[in-house]
Amino acid sequence: MTTQTEQSKKDADEHILVCLSSSPSNARIIHTAAKMAKVLHARFTAIYVQTDTVINDEDQSRLSQNIQLAQRLGAEIVMTHGEDVPLQISEYVKLSDVTKIVIGQSSARRRGLFGRPTLTEKLIASAPDVDIHIIPDALNYTKPHRRRLFLGAEIPSLRDIAITVLMLAVCTAIGFLFDHLSFPDTNIVMVYILGVLMISVLTKGYLCSMAGSLLSVVLFGFFLTKPRLSFQTYAVGYPVTFAVMLASSVLTGTLASKLKDHARLSARSAFRMQVLFDTDRLLQKAKSNDDVLSMTCMQLSRLLDRSIVAYTKGENGMLSGRLYAEKKDTHAEKLLSDAERQTAEWVLQNGRRAGATTAQFGKAECFYLAIRAGGRVYGVIGIPMKPEKPDSFENSIVLSVVNECALAMDNAHNAAEKERAADLAKSEQLRADLLRSISHDLRTPLCSVSGNADTLLHNGNRLDEATKQQIYKDIYDDSEWLIGVVENLLYVTRLNDGRLKLELTDQLVDEVVNEAVSHLKKKSVGHKVTVRCDDLILARMDAQLIVQVIVNLIDNALKYTEQGSEICVSAEKQGGNAVIRVTDNGNGIADDMKPHVFEMFYTGKNTVADSRRSFGIGLTLCKSIVELHGGTLTLTDNVPHGCIFTFTLPLSEVTLNE
Amino acid sequence: MNKPLVLVVEDDRPVRNLIVTTLKANDYRYLTAENGHSAIIETTSHNPDIVLLDLGLPDIDGTQVIESIRSWSNMPIIVISARSEDKDKITALDAGADDYLTKPFSVEELLARLRVTQRRLLLLQASGDTDSPVFQNGELKIDYAAGCAYLNGEELHLTPIEYKLLCLLSHNVGKVLTHTYITQQIWGSSWENDIASLRVFMATLRKKLEPQKDSPQYIQTHIGVGYRMLRVD
Repeated sequence: MTTQTEQSKKDADEHILVCLSSSPSNARIIHTAAKMAKVLHARFTAIYVQTDTVINDEDQSRLSQNIQLAQRLGAEIVMTHGEDVPLQISEYVKLSDVTKIVIGQSSARRRGLFGRPTLTEKLIASAPDVDIHIIPDALNYTKPHRRRLFLGAEIPSLRDIAITVLMLAVCTAIGFLFDHLSFPDTNIVMVYILGVLMISVLTKGYLCSMAGSLLSVVLFGFFLTKPRLSFQTYAVGYPVTFAVMLASSVLTGTLASKLKDHARLSARSAFRMQVLFDTDRLLQKAKSNDDVLSMTCMQLSRLLDRSIVAYTKGENGMLSGRLYAEKKDTHAEKLLSDAERQTAEWVLQNGRRAGATTAQFGKAECFYLAIRAGGRVYGVIGIPMKPEKPDSFENSIVLSVVNECALAMDNAHNAAEKERAADLAKSEQLRADLLRSISHDLRTPLCSVSGNADTLLHNGNRLDEATKQQIYKDIYDDSEWLIGVVENLLYVTRLNDGRLKLELTDQLVDEVVNEAVSHLKKKSVGHKVTVRCDDLILARMDAQLIVQVIVNLIDNALKYTEQGSEICVSAEKQGGNAVIRVTDNGNGIADDMKPHVFEMFYTGKNTVADSRRSFGIGLTLCKSIVELHGGTLTLTDNVPHGCIFTFTLPLSEVTLNE
Repeated sequence: MNKPLVLVVEDDRPVRNLIVTTLKANDYRYLTAENGHSAIIETTSHNPDIVLLDLGLPDIDGTQVIESIRSWSNMPIIVISARSEDKDKITALDAGADDYLTKPFSVEELLARLRVTQRRLLLLQASGDTDSPVFQNGELKIDYAAGCAYLNGEELHLTPIEYKLLCLLSHNVGKVLTHTYITQQIWGSSWENDIASLRVFMATLRKKLEPQKDSPQYIQTHIGVGYRMLRVD
């Protein structure tokens, strides 16, 4: 365990991240990063951020070569998906405690004076604690920059064209009306600008609003300036009016569509937040890893509207897959076929994605993602890629949800580990305390036994008969007492991993009580022990342990009461419990001692006879045994004096087989 | 009457000495063996009347010794085991042992067990060849042919299961029968529910049989192990 923590500490020391790209100079960067990782004994990860931009076949093959290279050099490959490359990288950096990032020079250089901030600059801004190493690109390869001219431009739909035409027609009509009412031209221009604004709000993309701007100028010039139905104008100011009109309508159109883009983006991020928030809330409620997994899968199934396959890691290898679907899916069966399972198993072993749309197991039905956190793979989630692939937005949500799931499982795992360690420490502590006290408490009677036996061996013939009898009796008493101690110890050794393992059977309470009383027949000569048990009380218990509880309680009463006192053991049914009482009419227990009675090694102040005869583990053991059975052990006062120890056990229901 | 020959199988010397001393003091004849293999050889060559067998032997498991002896002889076997080994005790009884002693045991306990076994031995020899139709034990009488049981001359009103239990115990008087064995015999199965039922039936049977609850005369309970019918003189 210590080596493991050391290992993970070392892991936390250095973590090198290299950014993969399709650039031919990328190989050099990967090599450099690998060398660094080797020298620093660091964790080595290669990240590739998939974007929506189209890449050609040549780039694709170079990219996969680079990925393979990184893999060969011992890198862990991470693929993420998103438009904003620096954001994706910096998010990964934060999540995985990356300490050094290695990137190429080309991505570090700003393009032109007014170019957008570079990857490096953005990375520095979003992850300030990370060292960034820039490797000079020998080839100085610049990737042909192919930003699409109209970002997000789409061919307008018929509906959009219809809206544009209608809107312009309406504007022209209003223009005619205004003209008829001889309003000034400026009003008509305003109407057209309003029309363009409406078009850009109601249609998708830039094209319609741009066309609307142009057309509105054309229409205004054609229909509403003198001379009518010609592009010629008499008034001197009209070309200026046209220009201003064109400029303002283009500007409003662009603004409106940007606004729409923003609205769309923020709606998406709100939706994403909502999904993640819901998932988070569900995961917090989940009690076991199975719960976590099934909630994640149901969430994904709801999100993507398809069945989700999940495999978890068992004790030995992978457990069988489970299918989660919100709706009944007829194709679901084949998602659990052997080939699919093999793919999932590969993912589980390698901790990397595979399946449909990837290089590994590309023929599989599903795309498999490993649920991994902190270098540990907890399971695999499979997402069917048919009938259609999830879009990039859905993809990024899926990744986030799976990440949440992994974190939840990791947290649960860590918590369990911690609890185990604490349990272990506690039971170790208990054992150590016990051993210390035992070795001390056993020494006295053992000393007396061996000393007495020694006397008999060597000086036996010189002793008179009465002395010998006394020595025999001492040896016998001491050994009897030792037997009692060892008896209790036996049950303490059953304290395994901090808890006793119970062997529960249905027992008749009066049989158990009688058994316990018969154990103490010899010891209880000076006391009057009576048993009053109701018939046929059947309770579920570990018989051996409960006998020991009753023995300890009676033994305690024998020890702490005067000769001739009465001890009564009774049992009755009360509600769903069997209630067993050990009552004595001794001196009772002082109020200030009561809270400590069940503490380990507490022996009280007014110990009767010799102090060593009060071995403080009996009552503690009783209490933990009873509580393990789901009962309680309490101490109350007897009237007029004495004390009552009461414990309960759950009754058992039995159907008689006649 | 000749005192029976007892074979003591125990690897721990002080305990063996204790048993041997006790046997000597009470005029038993005895043999000793330190491990399983020599125990098997001693039983075949001397054919002892009673075997006292420790379960934790250095060479082979005590249960194997029982199985080996049971393959050719019905001689009474008393098993000696440590308290924590309840399971071993039950396996040994199921393998054919007659009784058990739990370490640490007192000398009186050992002698009592030997006496019980001796009486059982006598009974076996007496009724060896003829299966007597009437069983008599103290004040308890069972007429197998009529299917009736009597206590103090009065007929006991038993349910069929109670009667079956009583017969089973009487056929094995002096021998500890495990829960598993009894449920197998009565119900043919040994589910947990059967064992719980067994306890209830045994309790009702004992109520009819034993007027004094805390000092049972006929049926002895062995918590976690089983029941035994005692031979009453």
